[in-house]
Formats: sequence, C-alpha cells, structure tokens
Amino acid sequence: MTRRVLGNGLIAAAVCGLAALPILSSGVAESAVQGSAPEALVRRLTAEQYQNIIADVFGPTIELGGRFEPDMRADGLVAVGASKVSVSPTGLEQYETMARTIAAQIVDEKRRGMMIPCKPAAENAADDACTRQFMVQVGRLLYRRPLTGAELDAYVGAAALGAKLTGNYYDGVGLGLAGMLSSPKFIFRVDVTGSKPDRSGEYQLDSYSKASHLSFFLWNSGPDAELLDAAASGDLTTKRGLARQVERMLASRRLEAGVRAFFIDMFGFDQFSALAKDTTLYPKFSTKSATDAQEQTLKTIIDRVLIERGDYREIFTTRKTYLTQELAAIYKVPLATIQPNGAPDSWEAYEFAPEDPRAGILTHASFTALHSHPGISSPTLRGKALREVIFCQKVPAPPGNVEFDLVNNVAYKTARDRLKAHASEAVCAGCHKITDPAGLALENFDTAGTFRTTENGEPIDTSAVFDGKNIKGPADLGRAAYEHPATTSCLVNRIAAYGRGGVARSDRPWLTELESAFKKSGYRLPELMKAIALSDQFYRPAPVQSAPETSASAPPRLGTVTPVSTERRQ
Amino acid sequence: MRSAAALETRSYVVSYFGQAAYSEEGDCPGGINPTIEEQYLKNLAALGYNGTEIEAFAKKAVEEGGNDIERLMYERGRIDGKPINPYVYPETVVDPKLVALTGKYAYGFDLDGRGVDDPDGFTDPETKEAGIDNQFFRAFGCVRPYRGSLAGRPTYWAWAWGQLQDSQPAWLITLSGEDLDKDGEVTVTFDRALEHLKSNSDGSPRHDVSYRIDSDPRSHNVFRGEIRDGVVNVTEHGNFRMLQNPLVAPELNLKSTHFRFKFRRDGSAEGILGGYQPWREIYFAFASGGPAFEVCITGDIVGLYYLLKRNADADANPTTGQNDDISASYQVEAVPAFAVPATDIQRKAAVGG
Repeated sequence: MTRRVLGNGLIAAAVCGLAALPILSSGVAESAVQGSAPEALVRRLTAEQYQNIIADVFGPTIELGGRFEPDMRADGLVAVGASKVSVSPTGLEQYETMARTIAAQIVDEKRRGMMIPCKPAAENAADDACTRQFMVQVGRLLYRRPLTGAELDAYVGAAALGAKLTGNYYDGVGLGLAGMLSSPKFIFRVDVTGSKPDRSGEYQLDSYSKASHLSFFLWNSGPDAELLDAAASGDLTTKRGLARQVERMLASRRLEAGVRAFFIDMFGFDQFSALAKDTTLYPKFSTKSATDAQEQTLKTIIDRVLIERGDYREIFTTRKTYLTQELAAIYKVPLATIQPNGAPDSWEAYEFAPEDPRAGILTHASFTALHSHPGISSPTLRGKALREVIFCQKVPAPPGNVEFDLVNNVAYKTARDRLKAHASEAVCAGCHKITDPAGLALENFDTAGTFRTTENGEPIDTSAVFDGKNIKGPADLGRAAYEHPATTSCLVNRIAAYGRGGVARSDRPWLTELESAFKKSGYRLPELMKAIALSDQFYRPAPVQSAPETSASAPPRLGTVTPVSTERRQ
Repeated sequence: MRSAAALETRSYVVSYFGQAAYSEEGDCPGGINPTIEEQYLKNLAALGYNGTEIEAFAKKAVEEGGNDIERLMYERGRIDGKPINPYVYPETVVDPKLVALTGKYAYGFDLDGRGVDDPDGFTDPETKEAGIDNQFFRAFGCVRPYRGSLAGRPTYWAWAWGQLQDSQPAWLITLSGEDLDKDGEVTVTFDRALEHLKSNSDGSPRHDVSYRIDSDPRSHNVFRGEIRDGVVNVTEHGNFRMLQNPLVAPELNLKSTHFRFKFRRDGSAEGILGGYQPWREIYFAFASGGPAFEVCITGDIVGLYYLLKRNADADANPTTGQNDDISASYQVEAVPAFAVPATDIQRKAAVGG
C-alpha cells in the first residue's frame, strides 16, 4: 500500500501536466501549447495503436492489464474521432493502471535483463547513468521523438527518487517508466507544425510528426527506430528520403496491420463488440461467429488488395474468401479440415461456386449480420450502411414522429411487403427509396447471414432498381458496387481522412488528384497509400472541420453533402 | 450394391441416439422395479443376511452412508461360497427377478414378420403397425432409468448420450436419390465421422457442419430404401455395424436392420433404427461401469442381465437353446450436415490445397 501511494505521487510528478489532459484533447489547445502553427491536431491513441506500440517496444507478451475508453466515430472514422475525444477520470485511472502493469513487467526479474540495456552499480540504489540510457532508448519510441532534456531529467529523477524510497533500483525505474506511459505525450499523438522553409507562409509537420503520420497510417503503430533515424537526419524532409521510407514501409509485412486497421475503421467493425443475435431464433450465431465474420472479410480484403495486388473494387465481386467451420455452418457450405477434435477452427481458403449467391463482401456475414436487427434482417440498415460506409453518402435520420407499426406488422410476410406498407407514408418514402433497394437485394440473407429463399413461408424477391440499374440479387448488387463511382471516391476520401486525421472541403483538389492516381493504378490500394504518403498535403496540419461526404465526381448524389458529424451505433 | 439414381444427396449427423421408449401408465402391472437402494437390501437377503442384520445395514447406510452394503454388493457373486465379481460373472448371483414390461405399445418394427400373430408383438404408437418386436424395451421397460418417451428421454439414455456426444466420433446418415422430396428409391448410408458432434453455444446440435467420413469399412453401412409420403424406410434388411463407445457398447451390431426416418420442417430429421442385437454386448456395456454405474445410473446390473437373457428372442444357440439376440429399437435424431470423404481432405492437405 505504501508503495502504491508513493507511486501515485511519483507518476503525477513525472507526468507534469497530466491535469491538463482534457484540454490537450483539442487540436486548437495543443496549437496554443506549441505556439507555432494553427490547426495542429492531437489524437488519442486507439486501443489497437496503444497495444501495437507496447508490443513493438517491449514485445508481444506484455499484458496491458486494463481497458480502454470507447473510441468515438466522426466523419465515418474512429481515426477522425480520435482528435475529438478526451480522457475521463476513470479512463485516466485505467491508463495509469496499465502503465503500472506494463512497467512492472519490464523491470521484473524475468525481463529486466533484456529490456534494460545496462546493469545498475547496485540494485538497492539509484543509478542515473543506467536509468538515463534506458529512458533515452524507450522514451524515443514511446513519445515518437527524442525526449527533451527536461523530460529526461524528470523521468530519471523520478526513478532515482523511487529507488531511494523503495530501496530498489528496478522499482524506481518501473515508477519512472509508468510515469512516461501515463503521460499525455504517449497517450496522445501530437502534430507539431512549423513554417515551411520555402517561406511560403504555409505550415508543415515537423519531421517526427511526419514519421508518426507515416507510421500510424501504414502500420497502425508508432515509428520504428529506422524511421525515427530518418526523421532525425532530415531525410523525411527530402523527396528521396521520404520515398525511401515509404517504399520500405509499404514493402514491410507490417503494412497488413495498417490496412486491416483502416478497414476495421472504415467498415465500422468496432460495432462487432456489441453484435448479438436472438439465440432462440439463430442458435448458430455466437460471439465466435461475429469474430470470424469480421476476420473473414478482413482476410478477403487483404488477399485481394495486398497479396494479389488486385483492384480494390473486386472485394465486392470476388467469390474467393476464407472460412472457418464456424462460418461454413452459417453459410451452409461444406468445409472439412484435418484439425483434430477439440482444436480451434482453422482458416481455409474457399471459393464460392459460380451458382452460389455469395459474391463479394456485401454477402459476408460481416455486412449482412452486422447491419441487421438481433432477430430479423433489415433492408433499411443494410442499404443505409452501403450508402454511408461504402459510398460515403449521407442518409438523413428518420423523423422523430415516424410510425413503426406497419414495418413491424407481422401480417406482412416479407420485408419487402412490410417496407412497402411503411413507405406508403410520405414522411418515410423519401429515405426508404435511398436505402431499401440495395437492402432488398440482400434479403436472401437472414439476420445471421444464412442464405434463405423464403421468409415466413413466402418467396423472397430480391429484385430492385438500384441507382438506375435493374439488379436481381446479391451478386448483381456487388457488381453494381464495383461499378459505382462512389465506391472508389469514398475509399479515397476515407483513407485520406484516416491517415491525416480528417479532410476538409479545401482538400478537394488533393482528393481529386488521389482519385485520379488511384484510377490510373487500376485501383490498387498500395498505390493509393503510396500516393497519399508521398503527397505534401498528407503532412499539412489536418483540418478541424469535417470532411465532405461525397466526392464531386461521384454521381448520383443523395441528400445533401452536409458532413456527418458522428455515425450511428446501432 | 447398386445405388438409387443419385441426383440429390442429403447428409445428416446423428444428434441423439438412445433406446426408443414409450412408457405409459399401467404398462408395468407388477409395479416398477425397486430402486437400487431397495434392491440392495433384497440382495442382502439373498446372500443370507437376516432381517435384523439387514435393518442394521439400512440404519447405518442412512446415518453414515452405504459403504458396507455397497462393498457386499460388489462381491455378491458366489462360487463355492467364495465372493465373486458379479458384473463379470452375473450368473454367480441368483436372479433377482426384476419384472419386465407388459404394455401394448413400443416403437420398432415387425422383424420376424409374424404381425398380429406374434404373441410378444407390440403395436407401434406412431405407425400403428402390429407385431412389433422390441424385447429390449420389454426387458428394461419397468426399470426406472429406462422409462420415458421420445420427447422425455429415459434418464439412462439421456445421460449416456450426454457422455457420448462429446467423446465419440459422430455418426453420419446420407440419403441419395433422384428427388428426396418425392416418393421413390433411396440409398441410405451410415458412416462414422472423424469428428465429434458439434454443438451450438446453447448446447443444441449445430446444423450444417462438415464432418469427415472415417474410411474404416467396419462403420460403413449401405442399405437400399424408399421414400413414401416423406418417410424414408430401409427395404433391404441386412446387417448393421457401427463402432460405438464402450460406455454403451463397443460396437452396435444389428441383424435384420430396419430404419425409418422422417424429415422435419426445420431441416432436421428423426427416426427409429431397429434390428436384432446380441444381448450380451448390451449387457457387458452396462457391466463395464461396474458398481459406480450400478449405484449412480443403471440400477441392478445383474438384474438387467437376467432381464435381457429371459427376453432375448432371436438366434437360438444350437447347443444351449438360449437366444443370443434380442430385438431392439433406437431413437435417432439428426441434423443436416456435410459428409466429406476424409481422403479428399487429406489429399488436399498433402498438396497444400
């Protein structure tokens, strides 16, 4: 108990300014702190980024021992919402708990030999030189920049004080490290800006912020030592130096983590944590089904866009995917493996037959089950998701006085009949014209994602007119998504905003340029990421304003182009 | 054998297997057989203990537990007056004369074809067919753990299935025919899988899971059959052999195999599998559990031995005249599955497919 109280004090002392954490959650406030440039962005690390950094710096076996506060979605992305969130007092406790848990593992007898690059002169007393060596090394990786002299002195001093009071060198180092991990300088990504050297009056990110932009964009983690070296040497300020690093990072296997993180964000897969189905009606669907459904889509995307270096749009039409036995049972397809009894499911490459109704990720359970109600499918939710998630189009919220009696009336056997009755009310018809055609084309999939041909004994009709095209069902919808101009413009918009922390109307020329480059590359995602990473605009301070919802070149338009400030969580 | 024209194939995995029971009021006019505690006291008398001694045993069992009685029961066999394991040598124990069922109804089939002329014949409560041969149900029908119905499974069989479903390779049933939704010829194949039955998180059997077929020919059974009015019936009554689990019987062997199987609306199916089964194989499955089974679940094992022996109704031994087989019927429930030849998967794995 004594140590805990002591530790709290030390951490607070070391953190220096933790009380200002909520203020630091605003980009504007951070700009004031930096005192150099407007619109510098501060983003809270996402849970995955935090985990990735700890794994990169200390190894994958380190346990975090805490939980993260929920992320917030803005403009369709958690990556953009990260600049709009703060840390609550409870969240701060969790960060501190995790910091202590992690630090204790670093200095424990099992790991200290590997983690700390020197041995103290005596284990029962401070050794500032050894501590300094350790703090310099890990501080650079955790803060994504070298520690300032004052910061270093503070952490070394905290460790020395800790060692003195506890009589143990390693306990002191652990307390100092916990302070570093509790600091907003670790928990928040801070864009530090300065004037461009060409005296154009524009601002640009400094080299270390550039390194962070690159690293979080491509790897969803902090910069590695080589990237930080490039920042230190000024390489990132030259086109050749920047290109060298971008090429290296794009060639790395870690790119997969970055691409996964982006699609998890864009497709709203964080909603899987709350996904549940009525197990009385759908006993097959479990939390494992939900986990596997998400992974199926991610594996399919990675296979198409990274491994095969294919056209991004193919993810909406491909019959090639990966399945576990869990999912195969939901999809009602045979998938036998050589796994022994009791072994975890293995992932198997699978290709749906040409006559199978499944083609593309819109027919995956990650889409059909995620965008449904617990006990019943929802053409409206599915259609809305297609519009908002895949096409970046705004679907207006339903009016407050909407009457749901008709849409819940079981006298209508199929969803089409229920929605037809519901949409006969003028106040509902407008939006349902936007959402329902696509959703009705997916009605062959029940709320768990299992194929069906009837609902309540009535045959299901999946024909629809979608943005002027006659479609007959799921495969046609996938083809329509493939051909829809909003599919690619939306991806460009989202990935640019994801990497940079947001895009504004003023970014339209940049986005148009990226769309053009993307098209020229044959819609190869790595090429798009490369174009973003090499563009000047990517390193300009991100806007505090919201992003445009649809690109200028993406007809037909729906509703307004008013930015979406937050996304639903149903 | 020739297969029916196989344009459609449906596979199922067996999701419940146990004796088909149809217990009803009045089917045991002599009363239900005693509980094991009561039976043990009777067995003590058979061993020569007098009333006072038995009362003392019973009192002690109530106050301190029944260890003394159980120890005596574990060695209640006698050869030349010496104690013998009764489970291995049941005939070293005097027949406790448990009573058999005399009710009118039992699930099953008219295996001997004697129909209404069969004095031991039951009537099937579902098909209304007379002359049903199901002496296994007659034998055990008045012993508590074996009483029940298709919906209210007998305690013993429900417990046994609970043990088996997670430890025994699943059984597969595959139907092949021209159009399984219409009347016509069908081929019925029983196989053993390499995997255990897969369940949902709520414990219900999971539909549409893939199972590899064990290539061991001992568990491969093919029968010609037909579909009439949505019910599959085996029409060629050969032998049935399936590796099972020693908890129930190391193998399930049937002669004159009969099987009927009907589809449910949710895609699952249910049916009855029947035939003549070697009754000693049934007995030794019960006996293998010894005293633990006897006390906890099966009831008096020696009593079951004599019930089976007395009610066996087929394959008289030419030397002794004792029937070696007993007519039996089992309840089968199954859910849709994919039956995949194991060799295909192994070949695919070998080439890195």
